[in-house]
Amino acid sequence: MPKLTIDGKTIEVAKGTTVLEAAQQLGVYIPRYCYHPKLSISGNCRMCMVEIEKAPKLLTACSTEAAEGMVVRTDTEKVKAARRDVLEYLLINHPLDCPICDQAGECGLQDYYMDYSLKPSRFSQEDKVLRPKRRVVGPHLVLDNERCILCTRCVRFCEEVTKTSELGVMERSDKSFIDLKEGKALDNGYTLNIADICPVGAFTSRDFRFKQRVWFLKKTPTICLGCATGCLIEAQHNDNTIYRLMSRPNAETNTWLCDHGRMTYRAVQAGDRLSKGFIKNGMIELEPALREAAARIDEAHAGVAVIGSPWLSVEDNAALARFAKDALKTDNFCFEFDFEQGIKDGILINKDAAPNTAGVRLVKAAHGGVSLEELSRRIMTGQIKVVITEARAAGLIRTALKAAGTRLLVFAMNRSEIPDLAYATLPYSSYFETPGTFVNYQGFRRRTEPSVTAPEGIKPLWAMVNKLAAYSGTSLRLDSPDDALKGIDR
Amino acid sequence: MENILLKGNLADLESYFNQGGYKPLKKALALKPAEIIEEVKKSGLRGRGGAGFPTGLKWSFIPAGAEGPRYLVCNADESEPGTFKDRELLRKNPHALIEGMAIAGYAIGATHGYIYIRGEFAAEADLLDKAVAAARAKGFIGKNILGSGVNFELFVHRGAGAYICGEETAMLESIEGFKGLPRLKPPFPAVKGLFDCPTVINNVETLAAVPAIIDKGAGWYASIGTPKSSGTKLFCVSGPVNRPGVYELPLGTPFRDLLEKNCGGMKEGKKLKAVIPGGSSVPVLTAEEVWGVKLDYEALALAGSMLGSGGVIIIDDSQCMIKLLGVLARFYHHESCGQCTPCREGCGWIEKLVNRLEDGKGSPADIDTLYSVAEGMLGRTICPLADAMAMPVMSFVKKFRGEFEAHAKGNTCARRAGRVLED
Repeated sequence: MPKLTIDGKTIEVAKGTTVLEAAQQLGVYIPRYCYHPKLSISGNCRMCMVEIEKAPKLLTACSTEAAEGMVVRTDTEKVKAARRDVLEYLLINHPLDCPICDQAGECGLQDYYMDYSLKPSRFSQEDKVLRPKRRVVGPHLVLDNERCILCTRCVRFCEEVTKTSELGVMERSDKSFIDLKEGKALDNGYTLNIADICPVGAFTSRDFRFKQRVWFLKKTPTICLGCATGCLIEAQHNDNTIYRLMSRPNAETNTWLCDHGRMTYRAVQAGDRLSKGFIKNGMIELEPALREAAARIDEAHAGVAVIGSPWLSVEDNAALARFAKDALKTDNFCFEFDFEQGIKDGILINKDAAPNTAGVRLVKAAHGGVSLEELSRRIMTGQIKVVITEARAAGLIRTALKAAGTRLLVFAMNRSEIPDLAYATLPYSSYFETPGTFVNYQGFRRRTEPSVTAPEGIKPLWAMVNKLAAYSGTSLRLDSPDDALKGIDR
Repeated sequence: MENILLKGNLADLESYFNQGGYKPLKKALALKPAEIIEEVKKSGLRGRGGAGFPTGLKWSFIPAGAEGPRYLVCNADESEPGTFKDRELLRKNPHALIEGMAIAGYAIGATHGYIYIRGEFAAEADLLDKAVAAARAKGFIGKNILGSGVNFELFVHRGAGAYICGEETAMLESIEGFKGLPRLKPPFPAVKGLFDCPTVINNVETLAAVPAIIDKGAGWYASIGTPKSSGTKLFCVSGPVNRPGVYELPLGTPFRDLLEKNCGGMKEGKKLKAVIPGGSSVPVLTAEEVWGVKLDYEALALAGSMLGSGGVIIIDDSQCMIKLLGVLARFYHHESCGQCTPCREGCGWIEKLVNRLEDGKGSPADIDTLYSVAEGMLGRTICPLADAMAMPVMSFVKKFRGEFEAHAKGNTCARRAGRVLED
């Protein structure tokens, strides 16, 4: 356990800790570009150079291992001059196109220039090295080589995290540029992380490009519902519109975020977002749709079945369970989904594409119910006249529904989700609009945090269930998610 | 004194063998590896590639008891402007290198060696291939050398024309099949080198001196030259002298002797203005500074430059220092691997500044900018290529500031010579 001193403060660190990490532990910030805690050390940017007693030259803090008795200074004139020089070198061939650059406001060059340089340029504009501009490199990214500072984080990410090695540094000297290797496309499913770790505006997101200045964005911590991994994310939004989802790196679940997860916000504000009900293919106002659905439920009465959904929160599943048990007083309900879980690609993507398979188990534990196979059998034998469920869960019993001609009442968020067999469709709030509890594959119980408001009239699913209960003339009343959660282990 | 390295044309095995070649190898194989290392340490042999690191000490850095393979790599990627000594050795005495490598390989416990030869040395590489094949056929390298039970396989690996691959860790990357980018150190190659195994990397001239040391003894070698710079060194002289070329001289020989005795003095009508004494990357010395200097590691360091590779570039007073610096800047700009920020961006910036001054479009402020750009690169990169650019720039500006100022005022050499039309 070496003990070292950084800027007069002493700290004992684990063997193998670098000077940069030790400084971080002490709260001493050392500027860096190429260093990333989850990637190998490259040492190329030369921004993190510090003065170490007895060393004749400045050393890079990212690559120097802390040693017993080491005395490090990060605040000397020599260190400051080195930082100023590196920034000057980085900026001479930079296009300085901040006014049209998406990275502006969260750019390593802008930030460090303000913190460590503020030096006027000594380089003439006409001398700049020109490099390839704004090329589309894959489904999610645009690459601008003139903005690139060649820190190679992107190259190392593709080598070490996705192990797909699409990128390389071509040429040499100041003609160096990042490019796709021959015959490769940047479509490894995690590409937007590259835009995140790029310290400048070289890699930008095609989805986010030119949509919003980052300083207008508000940040709401929430969780990703793209699969059972349940990554911690941040929804970045302004004026009731979500612009992008970013990872919230954490030790338990995720450092990165997959491209699929990043795009899950789009359904929320997609053009086919449901704000009204549907009866067969005809859109009608929400209230008449609810009344029609309630009439079909009343008509079928004992022949109504309810199926929960691993795509819905614990609260919404619980509301459905109570609707079956306490309003319909039937045992035709199922809250049991045996999806295989676990990371399937060695990174983040789960074998289970649904976010709440584990959460539904809590509902099952409280309320019981039958298996999906049993329920399918009951449908096939004609005991069930109406099935109430969520759109994606309906897909799980599609064969039975089709064979038996059972009426389907579904909750859906987007028109494209509506199953072809649906008789009545009711809209509900997304989990970017309403809080919901989800249990990921590791058993972590986490809640979504609303960042935007739902379209007018749209309510959380548990509240829609409450309305359905009222229209059906049952005695069930749910005034809050807590009402729905009654009897469930918290 | 008698030459050790350059003794006429010994390119074919027979002529090398007839003058006593491969006897030192037999002698070495009878010694213990540690005894060989000790002998080389005592000889005072220092790396001839430029840095002058004690060779025996370098060999002893291989961690004792390190498991797995070890490698010996010969740096024959001679690319420093003004340096052409290894090429001469490869042409005239390739077996001294092969024998030196077999001895060194045995000393450090390496059963495989690589000669990384500069891509442009196509003819030399062919010659070397033949020499290696001949040595293998006679059992001087390969399996069970001279019946000793010692194995040493030798491969000739051709570079592809990048100066940076002469930096030892970039060379290792290149041999492994990757782009030639210098590695972060530590770990040093002695611990983690080629294919992540302990590796010793020596220059051609260094390894070629080993057989003679084993043959005649460390004491004999140490008696040549100066106490701290022992042995002989190849000096390659270019520029307006009567007999440019490669000369083998004891270290500590006065510069004046090299110029006047060996090279026959300056060409008629040419006056010595400056000398770059150790390849293009070392600081330039003015005629006054260089006149009394002895050519060894210590004396040249004391004079403010370096012995470097022994590439002695003679500059006469008809030469424009700005134009010369422009040549160097273009070279280092072109050859920077682009990894570290200061070198990648600084070399190109320097070339632009020098060109502007040479074109008469610069300003006095450009001279200070030029100096400070170089200063900002010095000692701040992974490998010494940035230093190799910075040192000439800083010394040129410091020692020939008057010329730079004249250029900044528009009084360029081209204009003075009437080669530019007034506008």
